[in-house]
Formats: sequence, C-alpha cells, structure tokens
Amino acid sequence: MACGSSAISSRTPSIPDIWGVWMGLGGVTDADLRYRNSPFPAPQFTEWGAAESRRLATPITPGECNPWSPVMFMNGGGLFPIQILQGPNVIVILHEAVTQPRRIYMDGRAHPAPDELLPSFLGDSIGRWEGDTLVIDTIGTNGRARPINGYVAGAVTSGVDTAPRLPASDQLHVTERIRLAGGGQYLENEITVDDPKTYLKPWTVKRYWQRRSDIDLQEYACTDNSRRDAEGQEP
Amino acid sequence: MKLRRLALVAALLAGQPALAHHSFATFDLATELTLVGTIKEVQFTSPHVWLQVLVPSARRGQTEWSIEAGAPGMLLRTGWKSTTLKAGDRVTIVTHPARSGAPSGSLVRVTLADGRVFGPGGPPPPQPSRH
Repeated sequence: MACGSSAISSRTPSIPDIWGVWMGLGGVTDADLRYRNSPFPAPQFTEWGAAESRRLATPITPGECNPWSPVMFMNGGGLFPIQILQGPNVIVILHEAVTQPRRIYMDGRAHPAPDELLPSFLGDSIGRWEGDTLVIDTIGTNGRARPINGYVAGAVTSGVDTAPRLPASDQLHVTERIRLAGGGQYLENEITVDDPKTYLKPWTVKRYWQRRSDIDLQEYACTDNSRRDAEGQEP
Repeated sequence: MKLRRLALVAALLAGQPALAHHSFATFDLATELTLVGTIKEVQFTSPHVWLQVLVPSARRGQTEWSIEAGAPGMLLRTGWKSTTLKAGDRVTIVTHPARSGAPSGSLVRVTLADGRVFGPGGPPPPQPSRH
C-alpha cells in the first residue's frame, strides 16, 4: 500500500510519539501521585473463574516460564521495562521478561474470523488512534497464561501476596486506551478486562509507565536456568 | 553517592507490591539467616540469578548453599554487574531460608569483602519528573 500521500503526511505529526522504553511505576513508592497504578478491584468470579483462581494459587501452576497474558504484559509492575516500536501499520511492544512480542495491527484490519484465529498467549490485537488515544482491542487468547496478577507470593523482597489470583481465560476481551501524559514523559493505559468465563462483569484498571531513555531491555531466556521448573517447589 | 543510591533502592523495595515474576513462597520471608562463606559459582542467568556459596559447617566440613536473586536485568538496574561477584570471593549473605530446611534461600543482601552491599534486584530508582 502506498503511504506517501499528502493526506497521510499531513496527519502524521498529530500522531503521538510513543516510541521508546518505558518503565512501569507499580511499586515505586515515591512516584508522582498523578501516575500511580490503580489497585485491582475485588474480583467477582463466575463459578469457573473461582475454581481457576484457586487452581492458579500455587507457586508452580502454571510453570515458571509460561508466557503471560496481554493484561499481565501491560501491568506496569515496575520490575521490567517494555519497549514500544511504533511503525505506521503495526506497533510492536516488547517486554523484557516475556519472549513473545505483542503485535498491534494498525492497518485497519478486523480480527480474523473465529475459525481463522489461532489462539495464543497474547491474543490477536488491532489498534487505532482516536485523537490522542491509542485504542487496542485484543481477543483470541488461549487461556493458558499466568494469572493477570502473577504468582501467589510477591517479589524477591516482599511479603506473601494473599490476594486471589486473577485468571485470563480463552474468552478474554481486553480494551486498552493508551495516551501520553506529563508532557510525553508518562504513558497511561486504561485497561478494561471483559472475560465472561471468569468474571461476572468487566473491570478496569489504570497503569502507568515512565519514559526511560536511560534503560535498555536485557535479554531474558527464561528456560535457560529455570531451576524452579526443574526442581518444583523445593529448591 | 553509592550509599544514597542503595538507600533509595532499599526504600523502593520496602514498598514493592506483589507483581513479581513468580513466587518466593518457598522461602520463609519472616526469617533472616546470615551466612558467611565463599562464592563457588555465580549463575547470572534468566529467569533468576543464583549464587552458589560454600559455607563452613560443623558436621560436613562445608555446605553448598543456593541463593536466589532477581532477574539479571533487575540486578543490572540496581547497581550490579555480571562481574560483581566471582568464584573465591568472601561474602556475608543475609537470606530468607527455604521452608524445607534445604540449604537454599532468597537473597536479602550480600556484603562483599570491600564493604559494598548489593540487594536482590527490584525497581530501578525513578527518574525525577521533568515537568
């Protein structure tokens, strides 16, 4: 497709520049209050969702190196950066701790028909600009990713997280509304999770990143030395 | 400067919520055990960095401990280099020991012979707002 028309060119400057490395601000206690992640709402599970949440509430299900769902990918937890590669027809988002990239198709296509869609960990994502807001619609997940809020216990130094695990099923439908904030130094993502297999009603959280030109993503080959997967819960 | 940076990292880690890579429920987070020993091997690997440490013990001469830290990228962003520790280095390690009683634990902090202290990784210090 020819993209050099004057109509396209004249519109280009108005598209926000989200290219670059971004660090989630979750857990950064002295981050600017305007850019603080909202907490997960108390989940209202379906019967299946409650059972799945319990199944996921052990340190070893799913495996340590299982890929993430698109919601956990965009959770802005503060430990790993993401990198946005912003092309004209596709936006690719890399996450340091996730091998799979997110591909957000921006060429106006629709999702594939259900019988053409190959279920995947990160699903099928299409996006469009609504003014200054990038709206991403994602379906087609396989339901085998880690829970949205990670594992049963917390970070290296934090206490045990006793909140229920939040599953992402194969019926997951995610709507993201991403926009720049703070003069382009912050990225806000309003994430709405509509997963009727798991939750009685949709819910929404806000996640924030800070632009970090001083950070490069490192390689992360999870299966290289996954001693927990090899040895189970007993190290 | 170094101390200020470490203090900042420590302050950040204290408020770190549970959105980490995976569970450390295997380890007794309420207990801090101090080990004095010698580095046998550093595995600066994904998903997590492991320190193999030889610690003198009365019964068996010495015990090899496996100490788990955070992801390599996390460590780089909080002051570590892949060469910070090497085999033969004398270290003092504070760890949350495994609940099972196995000679294993998660890293709280490691103090080198020259007095430098390194943590288990975590969020990098934020950039100050520019607006």
